[in-house]
Amino acid sequence: MKTSFVASFSRTLVTVLLALLVGGLIMQLSGKDAMGAYQVLWNSAVGSPRALANTLLAATPLIFTGLATLIAFKAGIFNVGVEGSLYVGAFAAAWVGFTFVDMPGILLIPLAFFAGGLVGGLWGLIPGYLKARLRVDEIVTTIMLNYVAILFTNYLVTGPFFVPGMANAMSAEVAPQAQLPRLMERSQLNISFLLALVVLALVAFLLRRTALGYEIQTLGTNATFARWMGMPVARTILLVMFLSGLIGGLAGAGQALGVHYRFVGGFSQGLGFDGIVITLLGRNTPGGVLLASLFLGALRSGASTMEMFTQIPRDLIDIVTALLIFFVAVEVTVPKVWKYWRGGSKTQMAASGSER
Amino acid sequence: MPYLEVRAIRKTYPGGVLANDDIHFNVEAGEIHGLVGENGAGKSTLMKILYGMEQPDSGEIWLGGQRAHIAHPQAAIQLGIGMVHQHFQLVPTLTVAENIALGRETRRGLFADRGVMRERVRALSDQFGLHVNPDALVSDLSVGLQQRVEILKMLYRNARLLILDEPSAVLTPQEVVSLFEVLRRLVAEGCTAIFITHKLDEIMTLCDRATVLRRGQVVGTVETARVTPAEIARLMVGHELEPPLARKASAAESRDRLIVRDLQTGDARLQNTTVNFSVKSGEILGIAGMEGNGQTGLVEALIGLRPDAKGDILLDGTNLHGLSTRDRRKRGLALIPEDRNREGLSRPMRIWENLASGEYDRSPLNTGGVLRLERMRTAARALMERFDIRAPNEGVAVSTLSGGNAQKVVIARELATPPAVLIASQPTRGLDIGATGFVHEQLLNLREQGCGVLLISADLDELLALSDRIAVLFEGRILRIFPREEATREQIGLAMAGKVESEQAR
Repeated sequence: MKTSFVASFSRTLVTVLLALLVGGLIMQLSGKDAMGAYQVLWNSAVGSPRALANTLLAATPLIFTGLATLIAFKAGIFNVGVEGSLYVGAFAAAWVGFTFVDMPGILLIPLAFFAGGLVGGLWGLIPGYLKARLRVDEIVTTIMLNYVAILFTNYLVTGPFFVPGMANAMSAEVAPQAQLPRLMERSQLNISFLLALVVLALVAFLLRRTALGYEIQTLGTNATFARWMGMPVARTILLVMFLSGLIGGLAGAGQALGVHYRFVGGFSQGLGFDGIVITLLGRNTPGGVLLASLFLGALRSGASTMEMFTQIPRDLIDIVTALLIFFVAVEVTVPKVWKYWRGGSKTQMAASGSER
Repeated sequence: MPYLEVRAIRKTYPGGVLANDDIHFNVEAGEIHGLVGENGAGKSTLMKILYGMEQPDSGEIWLGGQRAHIAHPQAAIQLGIGMVHQHFQLVPTLTVAENIALGRETRRGLFADRGVMRERVRALSDQFGLHVNPDALVSDLSVGLQQRVEILKMLYRNARLLILDEPSAVLTPQEVVSLFEVLRRLVAEGCTAIFITHKLDEIMTLCDRATVLRRGQVVGTVETARVTPAEIARLMVGHELEPPLARKASAAESRDRLIVRDLQTGDARLQNTTVNFSVKSGEILGIAGMEGNGQTGLVEALIGLRPDAKGDILLDGTNLHGLSTRDRRKRGLALIPEDRNREGLSRPMRIWENLASGEYDRSPLNTGGVLRLERMRTAARALMERFDIRAPNEGVAVSTLSGGNAQKVVIARELATPPAVLIASQPTRGLDIGATGFVHEQLLNLREQGCGVLLISADLDELLALSDRIAVLFEGRILRIFPREEATREQIGLAMAGKVESEQAR
C-alpha cells in the first residue's frame, strides 16, 4: 500500500514537472524569460500569507468539483455534469441570499448552502434517473444538461430576476449577513474553504468506511458482480448522482456567497470541468484531489499577479493545465509503449548477438 | 532431429514470479504433443513465448534446425507457428472466408477478391477434412465450428505447427471427439500440433507424447503408450491423486429444498419452454446439457436477475417469485457463478472486501451503515484458513490470485454460512486438479449436511461422479432426469443431443 502510494505520487510529480518544463519551453521559444516567470508565479502563489490565502481561495471550488467528479468516477459513472449542478446550485444559494433578507446570518448561510446543495443534487438526479432506470448513457445527458443549466440560469437573471440598472446578467446582491465571513484581511478567502475540507473528510469517510462507499467501489470495479451479489445497483447510481450534484451545487453556492455575493451569469468558466482534471491528477483519491486542487489553485492565483509583473500572459496557465491533462493521459499509455519498445529492442539485441 | 526444440527457456515476470525455469522440451515433426500441468505451472507463458507474445529472459528456440527469434506473433506466423486461442478471435458478422482472410486479403485492384479467398478456404477445408462452409456467418456457427475456423485461419497463413490452448475446454463431449479427428487429420497431412490441456484422458487418447510442467519446470516428457493416467497425474501434482471421492449416504430425510415449477426464464430464443425439477435435502442434482440450451437463463432466473421470468421457485416452501437477488440470497440461496471473474468477484478489490460482499449490509459487519473493517478482516482471515485460500494476506487484490484460489474466495463467501440450496454453475471450469478436488469435496460436504445442490456442468465425468440424479437440459427444458444408477455416458450424451425415445420424454 505504502509503496504504491509513493509510486503514484512520484509518477504524478513527474507528470507535473513535465508539464511545467514544456510550458517553460514554450515561453522560452516565444522569447520570454521562463525561469523569471515561474519565480514570479511561485512568489505570487505562496510567497506571502496573502498570496497563500488567494491560492486557497482559488482551490476551494476545485476541491468541491474534484470531489463531485471523484465520487461518480468511483462508481464507474462518468459525470461530466458537475458544471451544470454548480450553476443551478449557485443560483439557488444566491436566491436564498437575496430573498430571505431578514433572516440572521447564522440561519441564512446554512439555508443558502442547503438550497444550493439540494438543487445541485436534484439536477444530478436527472441523468442519474435516466441511467439507473432507463440505461441512458450519462456522458451524453450530463454534457447536454450543462448547457441547459448555464443558459437557464442566465435566462433567470436576465428575465424573472432581472435587476434594472445592471449591465451584465447578474442577480441582486445577497443580504450582507449571507455573505460568507472571510478568514483573512484583504483576501476573499472565506469559510467555504473550511466547508470544502469538511466535505473532503466526509467523502473520504463515505468511500472507505460505509456500506454505500463499499457499494460504490464494487459498482465501479465490476458492475456485473454487484448485480449478481444483489447489491442495490439502481439505488447506488441514484445516490451517487445526487451526492455528486450536491457537492457540485455546494461549489456554486460557495462562489456565489463568498466571492461574487450574487449570481453572475456564466461565472464559472469551467470550474465543473476542472473537477475532471483534478480527479485524474489526484489519482482518484480524496487526498489526491486536495493536492491537485491546491496545485491548480496556486497556478491560477499566481497567474494574475504574474501577468501584472511580467510580460507573460495568463494564458500560459491554461497551456500548463492543458499540458497536465495531456501528460496524465499519456502516462496511462506510456508503460505499454515502453514495454513494447523494451521487448523489441531486447530481441533485436539477441538477434544481432547470434549473427556474430 | 526434432522439429521444435526449446532449450533452457527462463522467464521471470515483473514482481519476481518465475513462470518458466529452465524449460527444455522438443516436438517431433508430425506429432501431437501434449503439454499438461496445473494452473500456474507455466504452460501459458511457454506458449506465449513460442508465439512471440512474451520474450524469454534467456534460452533458445530452434525450429527445423535453425535458431528462431520470435519477437512478435507476426514473426511466429512467418515461421509457420499458429496459435488457436481459448477465446476465439473472430468477427461474428463476417463470413467464415472473410474472417479467415482478414488481414491477408487477396486483392484485385482496390478490392478484396472474395472469389479467390473463398476457393482457398474451401480447398483447405476439404484437404484437412474440416467441413466448414466458407460462406456461413460466424455468428451462426456452433462453438466447435468456430474453433475450426480458428484452425483454418492458421492453416490459411501456412502454419505447420499449431498450438492449441485448452481447445476442449469450450466444447461438448461430441465436439471434442470431432476435434480429435480433425487434429489427427491435420497431422496426417503434415502438420505438427502442441495440445495444452488439464485433462488426462485427452492426453491419453490424442497425444503421442506429453510434457508435464510443474511450478515452471519440466518434470518429465512421457510417451503416452507407456504410462498410465495416474502416473501423469502424479507428475503433475507431485503426489498420487486420492481415489475418487467416497460418497457417504446422505441425510435420510428427503424433504424438497428447492422446487422449480413451470419456470419460464424469459429467454427470447427459448420461448414456450418451461423448466420443472426439484432438489431434495442432501441431494446433488446435476444438470447436463450443451452450452446454450438454457443454463444461463435458468441460473439467472433462479437468482433473480430475470425480471421477466414466470413460474414458481420454492425455497424451503417460500416462493421466491418477485423477490430481489439480495432477498433470495438472504433466504439461503447461494451461487457459484459460471464466470467467476465477471459474476463472482471484483478482481481489483481485496480478498477481504470480496469475502464481505454477501454480508457487508448487515450486522455484525455493518452498524448503522458504517462498516466494521476490523471485523471484516478478521472474518476474512478465518475464512482463508477454513477454505485454504493461499495468499500473502487478506489485503491483496483478488486479481493476484490463481484461478483456483480465486474460486476458493467465491466458495468461501457463498458457504460461509451453510446455504439452504447452492447453485454451482461450472464450478471447476479452468481449475487444476488440486482445486477441482477441493471444490468437489465442498459440494459433497454440503450434501452430507443436508443442503440441496444444483450442479450445472459441462463436464460429464464431474456430473457422474457427484450427482444423485442427472437432468438433461435441451432447448430450454428438462428432457429427462436420470437416477444415478441408470445414468451412463452414452444415454446422457444422446439426451444432450435431443435424442430421447418418445415415451421417455416425460
